[in-house]
Parts: sequence; structure tokens; C-alpha cells
Amino acid sequence: MSTSAPLSAKSLSALEVPPSGGASGARDFARYLGTKVTAALVSFVALLVVGFIIFSLMPSNPVESLTRGRPTSPKQIAFLTKELGLNQPIWERFGHYVANTLQGHLGYSFQFDTPVATLIAQRLWPTILLMGASTIVSVLLGMWLGIHSGWRPGSLLDRLSTGSAITLWSVPTFWLGIILLVLGSTGFGPVPPLFPAGGMATAGTAGGFGIAHILDVARHLVLPCLTLVLVVFAQYQMIMRSSMIDETGNSYLLTARAKGLRDAEVRQHHVVPNALLPSVTLIFLQVGTMISGAITVETVYSWPGLGYLTYQALQIPDLQLLDGTFIIFSASVIVFNVLADLLYRALDPRVRRA
Amino acid sequence: MKITRLARRGRPCAHRPASAWRAKALLAAVAGITLASATAAVGAAAPAAASSSPGSTLTVEAGTAFSTFNPFTAYNSGDLEVINEIYPNLTTTSKQGAPEPYLATKWSLSPNKLTWTFAIKSGLKWSDGKPLTAADAAWTLNLIIHNAAAGAANGALVASLATVTAPNPTTLVITTKSPAANLLYNLAIIPIVPEHIWAAQVPHLGNFTNHSTPAVGYGPFILTGFVPNQSATLTANTSFFMGAPKFHTVIVQYYSNGDAAVAALRSGQLDDIDDTLTATQFNALKSAKGITVTPQVSAAWTAIELNPGARTRTGRHFGNGNPALQNIKVRQAIEMAINKQELVSKNWDGLAVSGQGYLPPAYPQWQWTPPSSEQLTYDPAKANQLLNAAGYKMGPNGIRIDPKTHKPLTLRLGIHSDESTDAAMAPYIVEWLKAIGIGVTVDSMSYNQLNADLPKGDWDMLSDTWSTGPDPTYLLSIQTCGVLPLNNGNGFNTDSFFCNPSYDKLYAQQATEFNTAQRAATIGKMQQVLYSNAVDVVLYYPDFLSAVRTSAVKNYFFGKPNAQGFYPQQNLFINWLDAAPVASGNTSSSSGTTLAIVIPIVIVVLLAGAAIVVWRRRTAGERE
Repeated sequence: MSTSAPLSAKSLSALEVPPSGGASGARDFARYLGTKVTAALVSFVALLVVGFIIFSLMPSNPVESLTRGRPTSPKQIAFLTKELGLNQPIWERFGHYVANTLQGHLGYSFQFDTPVATLIAQRLWPTILLMGASTIVSVLLGMWLGIHSGWRPGSLLDRLSTGSAITLWSVPTFWLGIILLVLGSTGFGPVPPLFPAGGMATAGTAGGFGIAHILDVARHLVLPCLTLVLVVFAQYQMIMRSSMIDETGNSYLLTARAKGLRDAEVRQHHVVPNALLPSVTLIFLQVGTMISGAITVETVYSWPGLGYLTYQALQIPDLQLLDGTFIIFSASVIVFNVLADLLYRALDPRVRRA
Repeated sequence: MKITRLARRGRPCAHRPASAWRAKALLAAVAGITLASATAAVGAAAPAAASSSPGSTLTVEAGTAFSTFNPFTAYNSGDLEVINEIYPNLTTTSKQGAPEPYLATKWSLSPNKLTWTFAIKSGLKWSDGKPLTAADAAWTLNLIIHNAAAGAANGALVASLATVTAPNPTTLVITTKSPAANLLYNLAIIPIVPEHIWAAQVPHLGNFTNHSTPAVGYGPFILTGFVPNQSATLTANTSFFMGAPKFHTVIVQYYSNGDAAVAALRSGQLDDIDDTLTATQFNALKSAKGITVTPQVSAAWTAIELNPGARTRTGRHFGNGNPALQNIKVRQAIEMAINKQELVSKNWDGLAVSGQGYLPPAYPQWQWTPPSSEQLTYDPAKANQLLNAAGYKMGPNGIRIDPKTHKPLTLRLGIHSDESTDAAMAPYIVEWLKAIGIGVTVDSMSYNQLNADLPKGDWDMLSDTWSTGPDPTYLLSIQTCGVLPLNNGNGFNTDSFFCNPSYDKLYAQQATEFNTAQRAATIGKMQQVLYSNAVDVVLYYPDFLSAVRTSAVKNYFFGKPNAQGFYPQQNLFINWLDAAPVASGNTSSSSGTTLAIVIPIVIVVLLAGAAIVVWRRRTAGERE
């Protein structure tokens, strides 16, 4: 987790920030951008190679996994082995993999008899919906609690929120998901079943953009989203709380108060903006990993997203599907890391100065 | 390790910032909770009400996620469950597990037992109105025989067929290369498709998922809806010649974890779970109102494979399996050291039968039990005697010494890290073998790792599970010499490197015996050979555990329970056809109750949220 020092008004004023405009600023930015993009490309290539090697070295027999429990003749096994490209030497498969990646082809899933890109496209929306909703709620909840608990450390709110955040952060996501699923979908005590036990929509109902379908999807979204929020909000709460406590020791608060500003104004307009930087980094990192979904939560709630798709691919293992999803996940994290670096440069003058 | 999950019934085989922001955030949160709760309250009751009204919807759990509805390439049980309802077969499987007429109303066999003549039911039409004739059956079978892509799933089932012709719309003639006693069983597995639809798909058969709806077919149901990764919707074919299904719609819903499916069953979102319950879930559901649990005799076994020495078809030995296991006395001693009944009691809460013969009890025609004089029952004293007689003297630390290598007799036990029953079983095996002076180290491996190790022969004992359909041919075949690997490693299909000429001779003989009793006798002899060689130590046959919401569905399961309370092996084709909605809905009142409870909760939450916001705004000055 980033631990870079947040800025205060005082420290900002003390910085000797070089002029950022003009040709020199543009050159600096171009150099900065070039460095970051180059590093990102190197990381991407390295990840591609490592990913391929790892998946190729996994002990596996995809043909047997696919056909288990079925009478299969040697002719069938030979056909499937050839179809899946498993009869090719590993260097030849790596060549196809690199060539396909450069041409934008993500391969073909033999488990689903479907191009990997099509599968990813099918599963992208459910994952963005689930991870987007849970990230937004987690950020809002975590930041709000972090700001208020950090502003008054030791208060009842601080003790309650910090205690519950750390507890929930420590809870295995799979276990919490099962508990919430059982309670929410079968009811407990006088509370009746409130939510579906899985899936993204009620089977047999029409899809589309009608209000009934939207409400149906919202109902299916509640439990998986709640599970993720309960586990994830702690990191935003703790980072924001820590940053707030760091800021409250600075003397610029005294200046602000001496100007007659109300406490809430000091907090919101002076402290919070300076305490936000680490959280911004965290949010971007989180967004980068968003599309890889939450494998455990998607599996518990039968949520048809990319996380669960990866889990399904690992079970066989469906090598091309694993390679394809790995490329997308890696690219997403790397791109958002670059964006976080660029945003951080814009937000923090010290980065521009460095 | 050739392992399959427990087969499901009906499977062919085995198987914002500032104070204003603060108030808005709180209100938004409260509103969010309110909206979710309200939608939950309304939505939660909807599926239950729908499936309890006559003629409506039966919602069942899918065996696996959906992949393809192309019958030429489908392997997953979730896909096969749907395919079996929307495409016909020439024969089908009776409640007793024997082949019986479907598209083929009767058949005759030539005196040389090589030519089969089938009478195909006349007057049938595909769901698009085109006639269904013998030509469709001939085209489908020939495609599987001659096109490798079409044979991807069912190629092994037509390996014995020489020619298939349709001399007229109601006659189909099949000739086989050699007498094939299991042909009628195999024909109950192969779906027949409409030639006029599928002929155009032949060039890209391997990439065709057949997900478009409605799919043209013939069967008790028509595929009318499909949501990838979630559900398939089947609508009843009211003109199905065996009788129209009682439910108008069957929804096959996929749950990626068993506890979610159980929760859905309890709350009325699901009507049935077939075969996939654990013993714990099964016992917990026993007391659930409106739900009936059903244990069925097993079509599977769990065993410990003992490596008798990995070798190729030409007899070249390889692998690092412990040579002590090449001694039949050591293998028999291991079998006698294992208390199978205790495993059944401790691991399965009694919901299994301790293992003896190679074929599981689901299909009684093939069942064999060893004569009492030959039984290798739990007897540690006798096991110790066997090892003493074989020259394995007890070492100083309670572990016997191998007389040839002079090393302690310690064996590796490979178990599945992804199977909780394996983890539960391993400590017992370790303890029991230690009691007879055999040390055991447990290697917990993934399914893939364990299967990757098998062909290398680098193992001593492995946990193994197999299931079978009504015809045992394939399960018997994996113990023949003909499926040992070639010297180049290809052709590997053996279960445990077992190879016995007597067994192979009997295997060839049973394949040509058309009289069931005669064939069963031969298969019994094969099981005797396997049992006495103690290569597959069958631990138990785990019951298939199912549950159905009898408050909403009746006539789902057929048959009566045996003396142990186990129902016969079920068949989804029959179950879905026979299942009928319970006449009086009993869940409509629950939706009213739900709303009555939830609405006040929502109102209280809203009022409490509003009060907090107002209070905080009023006291903001004091706090600052």
C-alpha cells in the first residue's frame, strides 16, 4: 500500500516547484510519460511470457478432463489432442500465442467451443456491474468512515468502525459469502428469504432494459455486492483514517482555525484534500484489478463474470482461455497503474519536481 | 487416474464531500437498502408461486455449467441433460436400467448376430414440422462414424458399427464388425439430429455451440431459451408420443456451489437437486418442510488403486512404484487392513455401501459379490499373517522391512486435494496400514496433478472414483491389457496398469453374449478376477443423494426404496416427463407474509435514517 506523505498547505508552500508550463514542462511530461509507458510495455511482455510458461507447466491433461466419465476411443483422444493443439511442441504453441496476441486474437476456448474474446465480452458486463457497484460503495463508505474516525481518533465512531473494518477485512471472503447467502436467501428467525441464492437474473424472465429486469438484476446484485463491500471497505477506511491523523498534526490547521473557519470546513476543505492522495492511488489500483473480478464471490453467488470464467478455465485447464484472460487482466492492471502514475503527477507537485 | 465425478442420472455414461454530501450519502444508503429490500421482498416470492401452480414451471439444478448443446461435441452433464430432452435416441433406458424402444419400436438380429434391423416409429415430425425418419438416424450415425469432429463425444460408441442404411423411412439397418451385445445400450446414448438442419453445420461442427433458440429437435421438450452460464429453458412438447410432460416449462438452472443450490431449494427458488448433495446437506434437508430427500443406490465407487507395476503393452516396466505392490499377498493384506464399514459410517453417515465387486449396485443385473470363502474382509490379524508369510518382517519402529530392498515398507497415498471425502479418508487408511506395519505418506494433489502422475507410473496408491451407466463395457475395458500404454507412451487408457489374460478373454466373450443372464455370469467372473488380484480396492459405493420440493412437485422419483431405504437409480428423462405440479399452491400465502414482515422493516429503516440525518445536522454546531 502506498505510504507516500500527504501534502499540507504549509509543505506545499515550502516546496520549490519549478515552473510547469512551457517547453521545459512539456519535455518533462513527455519524458515522464515515455518512461512509464516503456516500463508498462516491458512489464506486459514479461507477464505474457511468465503467464504462458506457468500455464504450460501446470500439470494437466485437458483431453482427459474434458472427456472424463465418457467412453473414449484412442481415435477420439488423438482427434481432441490435435484439435486442442496439444500435439505441438511448447515452442510452437508459444509462437502461435505471441502471433495471436500481436494480431489481437485471444485464442479459442475448447471448453466452451467459443472464441476467448467472445467469452470475455459476455462476462465483462456482469463483472463490471458487480465490481463497479461494490467499489463505489466501498470507496464511499470507507472514505466517509476514514475521514470521521481519523478526525476524532478514539471516538466511539472510530472504535466501532475501525474494529469492525479490521474484523471484516480478516474474514475469508468465501466464508462470509456463504453465510450471507444462507441468511439472505433462506431467511432466519422471523426474517423471510429476501434475496436469490445465485445468478444474475431470474431464470425464464425476459432480459432487456425494462424496469422489471433492472430491479431483478438489482435484487441479485445485493448479496454479492454486500459481501465484497464488507470485506473491501476496510482498506479505504484505514488508509483514509491514517492520512487524516497524519494531517491533523500540521500547523496549517491552526492557521485555518485562526481565520475563523468552522471545524467542518477545516476538515473538508483543508485536511481531506491533502489526505486524499494515498486513497487515489489505492482506488486506481483497485479499478485496475476490477475486471479480473472476484473469483470467490462470483463462484459463491454463481455470478457469471470474468472471475468465475477464470475459475472454470483453471479446472480443466483450458489453456487458451487462461492465456486470453491473463492478457486482459494484466493489460488492465498495467494501464490503470500508468493512469494512476499520471494522475499522481498531476495531483502531487513533488512528483513533477522529482 | 481415470476419475470421474459422480455421474448424474440421465447421463449417458459414467457420468461525495461536505455536510450536504453527508446527508445525501446517508439518504442514498438508506434508499439503496430500501430499494434492494423492496425488490427482494417482491422478487423472493415470485419463483415459488410460479412453480407451485399446475402446469407451470419445474426448476431443476444443472449438473454443470453449460458449454454446448451440440450433441456431437458435448461432454458436460449440464449440456447432456438438456440434449437428452430435445433430441431423440433410437432406444432409451427403462426404469430397470435396460434398453427399451424409443424411435425404434422393435428390432431383430440376424442369425450371425451382425445385422440389426430396426422399425422406426412412423408419423413423427421434428419441431419445425419436417418428417422425422430413419434417414435422419442413418445420417447421424454415419456422420459420427466417418467424421472425426462428429465423433468427438460419441465416437467410441459407434466403433463396432460397419454400415448404417435406411432402406425406407421406417426401417434402419445396422451391421456390426463383430457381434456387439451392448449395441442397444449405446444407441440409448447417441442423440439423433435432423439432417435438414445439421447438414449445413458439418463443415464447422467442432465450433458450433447450437445455442440459438428455439432449437429444432424432437423429444419431450423443446429448447426455447438459453442464458449463457446461467439457465436453459425447455418448453413441453405437448405432442410427444410417449405422453406430454406434466410441467409446461422446465428451467435448468446452474449454481456454481452446492450450498447455494441447497439455499435455493429451501427458499423455493429451486424444485429439485439431483445426485449432488453431500451427506451433510442431505441430513440437514431431512427436517426441511416441504422437501423430501431421496438416497439412491450408487452407480459409482470410490477405491484405492494399488500399483501392480507400471508397464507397456509389450511388458516394458517403468515408473517408480514400490515393487512390494507387485506381490499379490501384499495387496490382499492392504485390502484386509481397511475397515470399509467404518469409512461408510464415519465419512458418509451411513449413506453408502461398503465395497466388494467392481461394478456398483445401481444396475442389479451386473452386480457380483464375492463368495464368503474368498472375501477379503477387514481382518488385521490375517493381514499381518499374509505379510509375515510373504517375508515382510516387522522392523524396530513398527514398520515392516522389505525382504528384497531391506528398506522400511512405506507407501505413498495420492489423494485429491479438491475432494473433502479424500481428506477425511486418508487418516484412517494411514492408521489402518500402520497397524499392519506399513508406513504411509499422504500426497494431497489436485485432480490435474494426480492424473498427470498416473501415466508416469510414479505412484503406489491413489484415490480413484468411477461411475458407470447401465452398460458396463467401458468400465470393464479400462482393466484390459489392450489399454496399457504403447512403448512411446501413446494409447494410455488403463486405470491401474492391471493386465490379466484370463480377464481379457472374458472381456472379449461378454461382448458377444446377447443373453443378459449369460453375459452377467461372464462379467461376474471378470469381477472375481479383479477382486482376487486386489488392484482396485473398492472402499464404498456412495449413494446418490437428491432432494425434491414435494410441496410443489409430485411423481418426480420412481420406484420404491429397498430394505436399506435406497431408491433405484433414477433417470432424468423419466423424472422430468413424469413429474407433475402439486395441485394446490401452498406458497402464495408466504409471499403475503414476506411482504407483511419486510415492509415495516423498510419503513423503520427509512425513518431511522432520516432521524439520524436530522439529528446530525441540528447538532453539527455543538460538535464543532
